[in-house]
Parts: sequence; C-alpha cells; structure tokens
Amino acid sequence: MPDLSSEIPTEPRAEKSAEPAGAVPQRSVRSRFADALSFRRISAIYVFIVLFILFSLWVPDTFLTLATWRTMLDNESVTALLAIALVIPLAAGCPNLAIGSELGLGAILVAWFLAKRGIPIVPSIALVLIAGALIGVVNGLLVARAKIDSFIATLGVSSVLAAMISWIAQSQQILNLGSSFQSIGTGELFGITYPVYIVLVVAIIAFYVLERTPVGRRVYATGGNLEAARLAGVRTQAVIIGTFIACGAIAVMAGVLESSKLAVGDPTIGPTYLLPAFAAVFLGSTQFHGGRYNVAGTVVSVYVLATGVKGLQLAGAPVWLPELFNGLALLIAVGMTRYSRTASRAGAIARTIGRGRRRSKGDAEPGLAPGS
Amino acid sequence: MSVATDTPLLRVRGLSKAFPGLLALDGVDLTVSSGEIVAVVGQNGSGKSTLVKILAGVYQADPGSEVEVYGSDGTRVTGAMAGAELRFIHQDLGLIGTLNTVENLDLGLAYGHRLLAPSRRKAERARARELIARFGASFDVDLPVASLTASERTIVAIARALSDWTGSDHVLVLDEPTAALRGEESGRLFEAVRRVADEGAGILFISHHLEEVLDLADRIVVLRDGQKVADTPADHVDEKQLVELIVGREVDPAVLKHKDRGEAVLEVSGLSGATLREIDLRVNAGEIVGVTGIIGSGRERLTETIFGAARADAGVVRVSGRRLPAGDPRAAVAAGLGFVPADRHRAGAVMTMSARENLTLPRMSPLRRRFGRLDAKAERREAASWAADVELRPPEMDRPLELYSGGNQQKVVIAKWLRNDPRLLLLDEPTQGVDVGAKAKIHELIGEAAAGGAGVLVCSSDTEELTVLCDRVLVLRDGKVAAELRRDALSETALLNASMGLAEIPQPTDYPQKDDHA
Repeated sequence: MPDLSSEIPTEPRAEKSAEPAGAVPQRSVRSRFADALSFRRISAIYVFIVLFILFSLWVPDTFLTLATWRTMLDNESVTALLAIALVIPLAAGCPNLAIGSELGLGAILVAWFLAKRGIPIVPSIALVLIAGALIGVVNGLLVARAKIDSFIATLGVSSVLAAMISWIAQSQQILNLGSSFQSIGTGELFGITYPVYIVLVVAIIAFYVLERTPVGRRVYATGGNLEAARLAGVRTQAVIIGTFIACGAIAVMAGVLESSKLAVGDPTIGPTYLLPAFAAVFLGSTQFHGGRYNVAGTVVSVYVLATGVKGLQLAGAPVWLPELFNGLALLIAVGMTRYSRTASRAGAIARTIGRGRRRSKGDAEPGLAPGS
Repeated sequence: MSVATDTPLLRVRGLSKAFPGLLALDGVDLTVSSGEIVAVVGQNGSGKSTLVKILAGVYQADPGSEVEVYGSDGTRVTGAMAGAELRFIHQDLGLIGTLNTVENLDLGLAYGHRLLAPSRRKAERARARELIARFGASFDVDLPVASLTASERTIVAIARALSDWTGSDHVLVLDEPTAALRGEESGRLFEAVRRVADEGAGILFISHHLEEVLDLADRIVVLRDGQKVADTPADHVDEKQLVELIVGREVDPAVLKHKDRGEAVLEVSGLSGATLREIDLRVNAGEIVGVTGIIGSGRERLTETIFGAARADAGVVRVSGRRLPAGDPRAAVAAGLGFVPADRHRAGAVMTMSARENLTLPRMSPLRRRFGRLDAKAERREAASWAADVELRPPEMDRPLELYSGGNQQKVVIAKWLRNDPRLLLLDEPTQGVDVGAKAKIHELIGEAAAGGAGVLVCSSDTEELTVLCDRVLVLRDGKVAAELRRDALSETALLNASMGLAEIPQPTDYPQKDDHA
C-alpha cells in the first residue's frame, strides 16, 4: 500500500501548458529578477540598508566616515575567514566544532615556528597550512571512515587541539614575531588591510567551487542525503574528508592572520571565535539560497551583524547590547524562515542537527523491524 | 477457532476516502464482534492500509462515512473514549530496541502524579512477566527488545497495546503483524492472538498471507480497488477462491514493444546476503524481468544487493560478462547500472536539491568546462528536455525535488538513470506511492529503456504491474528463486499462487553458466 499522503500533487495538474515538447520553460526575466530581490532571499541586505540609514541619521559624524568602515572590514576579517571555512564541511552535512581550536592552533603554531624555531615566514606559514590540512584529514577519517558522528568527532578533536595549543605555548603568549610578519595582518593596499583581500580571495574560490563546479554539487548532495548521493556514485567519504581538509587549512590561515594582527601568539583566542562563526553560517544559510549553507550569505551576514554592532557602539550603547543584537538577529532570521514559502527547504540547520540520529538509526537497532 | 458472539465492538458503514486522482476506499462496510477474528485481505493499493489509517485517526474519512465503537455492554462509545477502545499493532511495532520489555511496556503508561517518583523495578518486572504470560509467552523481560525474536517482540507490542485491558471491550487491529515472522514464529503469535479473542476482544487482522488468514480468522473481508468484494466466514472459502476474489478481473498482458536481444547484461550466481540465499538469475539486453514474492522472501533486498548498496555475503554479479566489485555503488554506476530504490526519500534522491541537480548528479562530466566549471546553461537545457520527455509536472526543473508529488519525484529519479544510457536498470517498487497517471508514464519509460537495449530488473509487490511490464517473472520464496513464469503463463493469479507456494509451480530454467571472463 503506497503512502497516499505523498500522492497529493503539490500543484494542480491543469497547469499543463501548451508549450511544444522540448521547449525550455523559462520563467520571465522579470519574475526571476523579482525573486532574486525578494525579502525572503536577501533579507540581510534589506536589514543592512535599514541599519545604514538608521545609524547615518543617528550618529552621522562617526558612522559615515571612511575610517569606521575600514576598521570594520579589517576587524571582521578573521571571523569571516573562519566562517567560510565552516561553510564547507557543513555543506557536506558535517558540523565542525573544532574550527575554534584549529584557528587557535594555527595562531600559536605560526608564532612558535617564527619566534621559537626561527623558521622564515613563508615556510612557517606553509607548515601551518599543512598542519591544518592534516587536522582536516583526521577529522575526515573519524567522520567518514570510523563513522563517528561529526558533532562528537570534532568535539573530541577540538579538545585534543586545545591540549596541543597549551603544550606548544607552555600556556604563555609567544612574543617577538617580527615586524615583517606583522605587516601581513596590518599592511594596507588602497587603504584596506591585506586580511580583507585574503578573505575576498578565499571567499571567491570557495564560492566558485561550491556553487559552480561538479565538486560543489557533490558536496551539497552528500550533505543533502548521504545515502542517495552514495548510490548515485558520489564518493561520499572522499567528499567528507576533502571538505574537512579545506576547512582545516582555511581555519589555520585565519589563526595566522590573527597572530599577525595581534603581533603575539595567544593560546587563548581559539574558542572565542567558534560561536560567532557558527552564528554567521547559520544566519548565512537563510540568505540567497534559502536553506543551503553558502559562502555569499555567510560573508554578507558577518558584515551586516558587524554594521549593527558598530553602529550601536558608536551610538554609545551599553556593552551588553551588541551581544544581544547578535543573538536576536540570529534567532529572528532563522525563526522567520520557518514561515516563509520555502519553509520546507529552509531546514539546513534542522537537517544538520537531526542528521546523526537518522544516520545511525539503522545500525543501532539491528533486526528490530526487518519487515519495515 | 474462537467463540464469536453477536456483540459488535466496531461497526464501519459506508467508509470512503478519496485522494486526488484515487478513490482509496469506496463505501466499505465492516463489523467486528466480541471474540471474533476478522481478516482483511487485498492486494497493494486495495485500500487495506487506508482503512487502518482511518481507524487510527491518521486520515479523516470522507463525509458520509460512519465509524462506530461499542462497549462490551452494547452501548456506543463516542469521542476520545472511542479512540481508546481501538488498539493498534503496526508493522514496525513501535518498540524502542535499546530498552527492555519492562521499559517498553512502561512507555504506554500514564504516570500521572508520579512522574518523577522512583520506578518500582521489582513490581514492574513482575507485572511485565504477568502480561506476557497472558499471551502464552515467557522470556527474559530484562533483555533489550532488539535481542528478542520477532514473535517475542510482537507479543511485547501486543502486551503493551492491551496492558490496561480488562476483558472484552477492545478491538485489536493487527496490521501485517507476521511480515517479519517465519513458520513457527507466527504460530506462537497466533496462539497469543487467539487467547485475546477468547477473552472477548475483537480482532481486525490485516495480512498478505492467505494461509495464515484461513488458519486464524473467523471471517474474511476482501478489498479490491477500495471496494469490499467479499465478506465471508473463513470456512466457506479456500485459498484458490480467495486468490480469485483478491485479483478479480485478470488484466490482459499488453503486447510488448521491446525485444529480448539474447545477450546477457546481468548474470547473478550464488548471491547471498540478508534474506537472500544463493540466487541465480540472468537478464538479457532488451528484456524486462520481474521479481516478486511476499515480504521477507528476499524480493525487497535483491536490487540493492546486486547494485552493491547492501553487502552481499557471497555470490558473483556480472554485468556484460565483467565481474562487478561487491559493495561499490560507484563501480556499479560506472559499469552502466542504474538503481531506483524503493525508499525514494531515504536513498533515491536528494530531496532538498532541485530536480535539475538530481538529474545530473550521477554524471556531470559532459557538462564540465574549463577550470572545472559546470555549464549551467547546458545543464538547464538538458534538464528542460528531460522534463518534457518524462512529462514532469510542473516542468520547472529548478524546484526542490521535495516540492513535487511522489510520481513526479520518481520520474526524475528514473530520468537520472536513463540519461546515462544504462546497460541495466534495477528498479525496486518503481511505482510505489505514485498516482495512476505517473504510473503509466513510468511504465512507458521502462518499456522504452528496454526497447533501447537496456536490461531491466523490476522487483515489485504489485502483480498487475509485473503482468503488464515483464517478459518473465521470477518468484522468490525464503530467499530463493522458487518459480519462474514466462509471459505466456503470466497472470496475477499465477503470481499470487506462486508467491504463496500454492499449486503446481513452473521450475526456473537452468542457464548454462558462462565461462569466467573476468
């Protein structure tokens, strides 16, 4: 007996149009344009416009200066980079709770190579990137091969990395990184700091690969339905390991930038970036693609949130207000998608959380209901 | 046989339920009395499950339908109380495998004010033993139910459904309770069911197994296409008559357009794993081979094991003479196989992705351009042409697949394999949960694929589908090929008989085993 509930056509059959067979049913340019600009797709942009107008009227003297915007772009570059790193494994359905520690390890490792080992800048950074990729391999093997739920596997790895950070740093800041290393994080081109360009380049590459290539399609298919992707011939294990490698490399790169900006290797910074990165990615998943973790939405979310926070700071808001703003923005944006037309599709977050349970169900109860 | 009385516990009058494009139930009348075991039989799609779902309150019956529930004293029970009079055992039993019998029985209890009070282990254990003893069973109630046998688990489910049962005034609805059971296992379950009936409950028993039905039931109700076609005491019919009632009019096999090209695309020998036991079979290019069998016969495991989605314990699968590595779906796709699993949501498609993205997922190489770019324009063009070919409604390939109806989703799943010019299509219940129009289109697509030279293996519990589509049908029983019906001998009656193991059975032909090319 078929499940009859699934038989109810979602749209009336009468829609059968008089188009000749094989004709390409294109929606009009206007309707596609209107859809692309609709609130439900790019609410963050509209929120940005509102915030911009609000603070332009409220605190025009400070908000509307070039310096404010330059600082903001620079300040958020590390968060933005880390959030981009996080999008990649999340798109494949694997939340990575180790990104904070990965950033922390990158930050301390580069400082240690430079200050304690005396390795030149370029090899130091290369070694750190290799270390990041290796952490990705470990994460990937734990999730894809050992079949440990990604939430748990990366939580464990995160703790191991935190221990390594303490060990390398001897729980102390590492100083004397050298001025030329510092210039990576603070140098400017056309008035904008290098980290902003790095974010831009990484974002474009990640966007291109995820959105415009077969590789990206396979990543999203793996995240959407691991079993169906596997049966369609996608190497789901390789996809998962690959996304963790990319994530690890970008996350340690964010750590390198942080050390360079601070001019010290600080063993405590990693965890502070974890939640902002997750918040940005979740918020970003409500943008552009409605329900798909995506790079563009994530980067836009980072800067829209930053605009709000900056404006509130300039307006002299109390120190707790920015945190409140961040939290409410996330809750409202994600909550609103439940009521939008694409509600069923907007469940990227729900899918990620519910995923481990669903995946392990078949194995956990062997033979309980073989007939079902 | 149990002692049936004339006190009705459940009376259904003029029960109808329409779904868009399908009248699932059409004016069905049904009575279950105290102490009576009533069996409902019928093919897939006959309305059995809809009936159960309406009784369970999952679906709302159409206006004009009446469902009345009576107490043991003959007074009508209404409202919320009526729901409590009906107890259900569904096919999946609804037990939690990691919890033991005591804990599973507790799940159904209303704790009331002692929500956080410590549970009284000893008393509960004693009560659990007492409950299962009532159904003639005794086993360790401290074991996780996942480690019990299938019949013991069913008894736990029954005990839970009837844990507060005092005697006569309940109707127990059993929906395919023996699907997972074998031989003596179901015998033990039936003993328990008889005890329940003897104590005065009414039993509504839904089953595919005619032998069991005749063995257990007092009265048999036959549904066909949503209508009640027979309501007869069990001792007035035999299996042969019952099969005729279930099938009704025989559909004449249509003339097939495809032609067997003689060369084998699939050769399976000694395939074992899960419920399969040393299966040998062969599918030629341009041939459509059906596979049927009751639940548990191995029918539902065959395609996934051949494709490599599920692990095989032993056996060799050859595609066009070359050995397919076991358990490697990627290699299977590369070898020209396409697999349409029965569970579309779990394994057939990525519902959150668009129809277009699902279509091209198995093979994107022709759309790759420089720098690994995916040619979005070419992809859209191709998707639109496939949408027209499979008559996708609505023909917008950019909609997420989950927004389509079941039939249209299935068209996309089939199209994604047809796009690869497959050597062999493995289809598992290809038209399950699909409306009539889409079903015809899917059959047409399968026929076209075979006419184009692909071999097709269709596993289905829908005997009508098999008689319409197939050149020959293999019937599985207990994990083995028990019979083979060629097209001239193909009829729904013959398939049902062979599935149940009745009457004379045509033996499968012996294929000369090909030499090892690999």
